[in-house]
Amino acid sequence: MERFLTIDKGLMGSFLERVMKYYQLIAPVRTEKGVLFEYISGKEEVDLTYSGHTILPPKKFFFPPVEEMFVYEYEDSGNIRLYDLLDEVSKGKRVIVGVKPCDINGLLVLDKVFTGEYNDPYYTARRKNTLVVGLTCSRPMEYCFCAYLNTGPSIKRGFDILLSDLGDRYVVEVGSEDGWRLVKFNLDLFSEARKDDIEEREKLLIKVEEDIRSKGLPYLETIERGLREKFSDEIWETYGKKCLACGKCNFTCPTCRCFTISDEPNPDLKSGKRVRIWDSCHFLSFTRVASGEVFRRDRPSRFKQRIYHKFVYSINEIGSISCVGCGRCVEVCPAKINIMDVVKEVTFGVKPLSAKIG
Amino acid sequence: MSNPYLPKLAKIESIKDEAPETKTFKIKILDERIRNSFNFSPGQFIELTVFGYGEAPFSITSSPMIHESFSITVRRMGNVTKGLFRLREGDFVGVRGPFGRGWPIEKMKGNDVLVIAGGIGLAPLKPLIEYIILHRKMFNNVKLFYGAKTPKDIIYKDFFDEWRKYIDVELTVDFAEKDWSGHSGPVTVLFKNFRPSSDNIYSVQCGPPIMMHFVTRQLSSIGLPPEKIYFSLERNMKCGMGFCGKCMTGGRYVCKEGPVFNYSEVKNFLETPV
Repeated sequence: MERFLTIDKGLMGSFLERVMKYYQLIAPVRTEKGVLFEYISGKEEVDLTYSGHTILPPKKFFFPPVEEMFVYEYEDSGNIRLYDLLDEVSKGKRVIVGVKPCDINGLLVLDKVFTGEYNDPYYTARRKNTLVVGLTCSRPMEYCFCAYLNTGPSIKRGFDILLSDLGDRYVVEVGSEDGWRLVKFNLDLFSEARKDDIEEREKLLIKVEEDIRSKGLPYLETIERGLREKFSDEIWETYGKKCLACGKCNFTCPTCRCFTISDEPNPDLKSGKRVRIWDSCHFLSFTRVASGEVFRRDRPSRFKQRIYHKFVYSINEIGSISCVGCGRCVEVCPAKINIMDVVKEVTFGVKPLSAKIG
Repeated sequence: MSNPYLPKLAKIESIKDEAPETKTFKIKILDERIRNSFNFSPGQFIELTVFGYGEAPFSITSSPMIHESFSITVRRMGNVTKGLFRLREGDFVGVRGPFGRGWPIEKMKGNDVLVIAGGIGLAPLKPLIEYIILHRKMFNNVKLFYGAKTPKDIIYKDFFDEWRKYIDVELTVDFAEKDWSGHSGPVTVLFKNFRPSSDNIYSVQCGPPIMMHFVTRQLSSIGLPPEKIYFSLERNMKCGMGFCGKCMTGGRYVCKEGPVFNYSEVKNFLETPV
């Protein structure tokens, strides 16, 4: 379904207001800390002007940091009952607005991970009840490298509608039947896009892509090979020593999805919850088994696990790498480790040029 | 869509002491329909819930021919096993699974089989041994090499006499005691006089990582090709479905693609598991 319209910026608020009548709205909100995706109660909270990406990816709305999976309860008779909390997850329709291509690609990675031989019903339920309104990227940030991984600044699929900011108006690309329905009942707010609108959008996106590409990063094709050859290279010792194993890169990553499962008993000990909680491959406890054995004890081995999962193992697992080039892990790293420097070093065997980052 | 994270309710039917801090729990799934459709192949595992303590993976140790219930052998080690050891017969637990890929029984048919186990690592091999005994004519020479820390730590003690009627069983302990007349030393001492009689031999093993490391090298040195050396890997398998990422080894999900692998599969892993 390829269909292009435009909407004046002045009418966007009305559109969102109408959407909010039928859906819970999630959108970028500007806060003191930066721009975050949040549930919206009024259209004026929505900020579609943000540069690059939000502080956290929209992952948490599909795969929350703590997922309550079910409740168990001993009855007075001594029997035990389980209450599946999945039923709650499936309720209500949502629209998430203003998702950048890198983050849409992040969701597409999670889609592949969480479906297949088994389906993760919590993730799948949330994905099914949420429409995605994308927003192409006009102003990348310092550490953005999506263009290298073909994950931005624009995107061809994974959205119900896709907005592109042309100053006084948005070009609106309809990407699905659901997206068309969103537009169709509000056609008074939209106009058919003209050829110029579409050309202007293309020009803008090409320019953004060129900006990102001027950073001189390696080609995607060389990354896997470089990493495979250098699994035992000494550079991992260097990075492993720098890494604080804090897990910030995992928790801000749009595709990191490792978790642990545990029980939270209530004080009466007769009932409680099973929860799944975000985990990090950088934590020592991540691979620990009951006997106390830890399979990735030294820090370089844990540092490598994230890099190799993203750029090597994912190719076999889901058919593509699982880094989307958003650059969040670079921004938040307290040790100032830049994943692209790592990849550059491995791929070319040269020290990164951006010494200021080190 | 049924929720694969929701455990099936089950009851502990019986508890048997195996060794210090080690017990075998016989578990019966309550729902008859689910119980009847619970089929597993030797080497597969389940996720057992002890409500309030959480969930952990355990190998199924009972014969695959028994459908009324199944058993797991557990050493008290972590949080879930601590909770499990507090339970009594008739108490509730939860079960998910079975999960994973078991031993390559079809390939092993018509061949010699060498089973090597260390400590509680005999647990996932017991259903295989029982399968072989029930279908004895389908296999040639079958040998079990089993090593435990001390004679007390030997599990399934009362099974060996029966097994010896059908297969060779050789035991060794790391620390012999006065009344121990058998071998002593690590399980590799049992290889001293062992030479495979032909190329038609499969080896299967489970034990501590250090044991599997040396046994694998021993087997290679006596000429077993890597694709005939199988082992079961122990990893932190939380979800059993390849989602949680915790069991990933060399890019493979031990829960889904294993826990049984052959040496030819893993020796090219970037991260070597044995």
